[in-house]
Amino acid sequence: MSNTTESAQGVQVDQPNHTFVRFNISERIEHWVFITSFITLGTTGLVQRYAESPISKAIVEVVGGIETLRLIHHIAAVTTMLVVIYHIGAVGYRIYVQRARLTMLPVINDAVNLYQSGLYYLGIRKEPPQQGRYTFEEKIEYWAVVWGTIIMAITGFMMWNPIATTRILPGQFIPAAKEAHGLEAVLAVLAILIWHMYQVFIRHFNKAMYTGKISEKEMLHDHPLELADIKAGVAKPPVTSEGIAKRRRIYFPIYAVVAAAMLVGVYFFVGYEETAIKTLPPEEQAEIFVPFTPTPLPTAPPTPTPPPVTVLTWDGGIGALLDAKCVACHNSTSKLSGLDLSYYQGALLGGDSGPAVVPGDAEKSNLIIVQSAGGHPGQLTDDELSQVEDWITNGAPEN
Amino acid sequence: MKCFRVFLFGGEVLKVNRQVGLLGLTALMLTFLLLLSFGTAAAIEPADSQSVPAAQGVANETCLSCHATPGMETTLPSGEILYLTVDPEVYDHSIHGEQGYACVQCHTDIRSYPHRPLDAQTRRDVSLLYYQNCARCHMDKYDATMDSVHEQALENGNKNAALCVDCHGYHDVTDPAEPRSKIPKTCERCHSQIYAEYADSVHGEALLDDGNPDVPTCIDCHGVHDVSGPSNSDFRLFSPQLCAKCHADEEMMGKYGISTNVFNSYVSDFHGTTVIFDQEFPGQETNKPVCIDCHGVHNMKQVDQAESKVMQANLLTTCQRCHPDATPNFTSAWLGHYQPSLERFPAVYLVDLFYKIFIPFVLGFMVLFVFGDATRRLINRRRQKRDE
Repeated sequence: MSNTTESAQGVQVDQPNHTFVRFNISERIEHWVFITSFITLGTTGLVQRYAESPISKAIVEVVGGIETLRLIHHIAAVTTMLVVIYHIGAVGYRIYVQRARLTMLPVINDAVNLYQSGLYYLGIRKEPPQQGRYTFEEKIEYWAVVWGTIIMAITGFMMWNPIATTRILPGQFIPAAKEAHGLEAVLAVLAILIWHMYQVFIRHFNKAMYTGKISEKEMLHDHPLELADIKAGVAKPPVTSEGIAKRRRIYFPIYAVVAAAMLVGVYFFVGYEETAIKTLPPEEQAEIFVPFTPTPLPTAPPTPTPPPVTVLTWDGGIGALLDAKCVACHNSTSKLSGLDLSYYQGALLGGDSGPAVVPGDAEKSNLIIVQSAGGHPGQLTDDELSQVEDWITNGAPEN
Repeated sequence: MKCFRVFLFGGEVLKVNRQVGLLGLTALMLTFLLLLSFGTAAAIEPADSQSVPAAQGVANETCLSCHATPGMETTLPSGEILYLTVDPEVYDHSIHGEQGYACVQCHTDIRSYPHRPLDAQTRRDVSLLYYQNCARCHMDKYDATMDSVHEQALENGNKNAALCVDCHGYHDVTDPAEPRSKIPKTCERCHSQIYAEYADSVHGEALLDDGNPDVPTCIDCHGVHDVSGPSNSDFRLFSPQLCAKCHADEEMMGKYGISTNVFNSYVSDFHGTTVIFDQEFPGQETNKPVCIDCHGVHNMKQVDQAESKVMQANLLTTCQRCHPDATPNFTSAWLGHYQPSLERFPAVYLVDLFYKIFIPFVLGFMVLFVFGDATRRLINRRRQKRDE
C-alpha cells in the first residue's frame, strides 16, 4: 500500500500517522466523569426497577442495603447535574468566546447522510457519505443523551420531591414519572450498549477519549470533510486574542450567574422537601394485655357450716362437725385411708394407721395427731380441734 | 520417594512420606466422623426420653373420691382460694378424659395421700408449677413455645404471660380450633382490646358472624405456639408475604371477587420495592409501609366501606401518617393496586404506551444500522482480501 492516498475531496494525505487533537483534556475528563455517573445511575437504577431479580438482590446486598443504594444513585444524579452545568458553560465558551462552528447542530445534510449510509449498506451506493467533525451517528448519540438527561432530570425531580410536585400536578404524575424514568433508563442503557459500544469499540477501537488524538487515517475515513477544512485552514474561525479576552470578560460573569442559579436549582432538587418521616410508621394504638374478665372461676358452693357443738357427745354435735369437715373423703364409699367417719363406730374403728379415736387418750388418737399437724384438707379450726380433744379426753361418749 | 509437600508459613516446605501422610489423613477423617456421630447421637437423645407420659399408677376414682366433692378448696399463702373440686363430667368430656388419661399423668407429684405440700404462693404459681408437665407428651409444642413472645415475657418475670393451660384449659381441654371462632376467643381472654378490633374487622366479622373458614384468625398471622412479637422487626418486615399467602391465592380470592394482583402491584411500587430489598437483611427495620400500615392492623375493613383507611375520603389521613406534608393530590401518587388504564391513571398508561412504541423504534433503528455497517465492513474486507 502506498503512503499517499487520495480522499474524495482530493486532499493529499502524506502522513497517515500524523495525528489531530479531537478532544482536549477537559473534554476527556468531562466524558469520564459522565461515564462514571452514567454507569452508576444505570446500575443502581435498574436494580430498583427489577427488584425481584436475583442479580438486583445480590447488588443490593453487596452495597449494604437499598437505602445505601439510593444514596449512591442520588450522589451519581447530582454528579450528572454538575456535569451538565459544566457542559453548558463549556459549550457556551466555545461558541461565544472561541466563535467555534456549531458542528454538533443537526442539519438537513445529516438526514441525507443517514439515507446515503443506508444505501451504502445495501450496496446501492458504492461509497459511504462524506461527513464532517461530527457524523450523523455521533449527533444521534449526543442528542439522545441530551434528551435522556432532560427526561431523567424532570422525572427524577418529581420522584425526589413528590409532595412539591403534586401541589401543582395531579398525583398520578408521580407514578407516571417513575415509569418514564425507568423506561428511559432502559432505553438509554440499551442505546449505549448497542450504538455507542459498536461505534467506539467494535467498528474500530477509537482511542480519542483516552489519548485525545485521532490519526490522519481515521480522520480521512470518518471525518473527511473536517480534514479537508483543516487542510484548507477554515476549520477554526479567525479570532484574535484581543477578541477572545474581550468576550471572556463578558462571558464569565454571565456564566457565573447562570451557573450559580443552576447550582441553587440542584440544591433545591436535593433538599427541597422532607417527603416522609424518618421513623417507623406510627403503630396501632391498642393495649396488649387487657384480660377479658378476671379469669372465670368455679364459684364454690357455700361450705356447710357445722352446727355448733352443744354437748360434748357424738350426737350432741361432734358427729355433725366431723360430718361437715371429714366425711367428704372419709365416708362409707370412698373410705380414704380405710377410714369412715360417717358413724360413731367407724371413728372408733379407725383406718389403715389405727383407731382415729381412742376414748380417754387424745394423744393416741390419730384424728388429733393428724389434725394437730395442720394442713389437712378439711382442717378443723383451733376451737373445733380443742372441742374434739376435750370430747376424747372425756371418754368420747356417743350420747 | 513420592511424598506430599506441606507448605508452611514463610515458604518452608515440609516433605511428608506419602504413605505416612495418607495414614494420618485417614486417621484424622475417622476421628472427625466419630466425633460427629457422637455429637449427633447426644443431641437427639433427650428429646425422646421426655415425651413419655407418666405411668398410670393411681386410678382416677381414687382421686375423685375426694376431689369430686363440690366446694373443696384450700387457702393459699397469698390469701387466694384454690379450688380443688374436679367435675368428673367435665373431665370425662375433655380430650384427655375421653382417651382415659389418669389424673396422676399430669399431677405427677401426687402418688399417695397425704399429698406433698404445694409450693405455690398464689393461684398463678399453681399453673406455673404444673404447665411444664404438658411437655411430657407434647414436647414439640412445648419446644415451639420456647421461642414465643409469651415465653420471653415469662422469662422477663411477667407471670401473666400465657402458659399452655391459659389457652388450652386444664381439666376441660378440648380441640382448641373447634369451632374455629374459639381461636380468637381464646386470645381474647388476655387481649380483649385487640379482639374487639378484630371482631369489628372484615376478617373478624366473617369468622364470628358467618363462620367463614377462609378468613384468618389470630394464629394464622401470629403463629400458634411460637407466637412472635408483632413489634418484632422481622414480623413486620415479612408481613406482606403473610397477607399474600391468602391475597395472592387465585382460588380463595376468586370466591370473593378480590384481586390477587395486590402483592405484585405493591412490590412494583416504591414502598414494596424497598421492603423487598430490606428483606435481604432480616432483623432490620423498614420504615416503608407494609400492608397493615395502610389497611389497618386488626381493624382492616373492606376497601369499599366508609371506615376503611384506604377509602378515598380517608386516604389523605392515612398517607399523612408517614407523609405529614401530603396534600390531597398526593394520594393518587399511589396507584391503589390498580393496573393503569386509559380510564384510571391515564398519565401512567400513556407514558407506558409511549415507551412501548418508542423503545423498539429507536433500538430497532440502531440495530438495523449497526447490522448494516457491520455486514458492509465484512463484505468490503473480504473483497479487499480477494483483490489482493
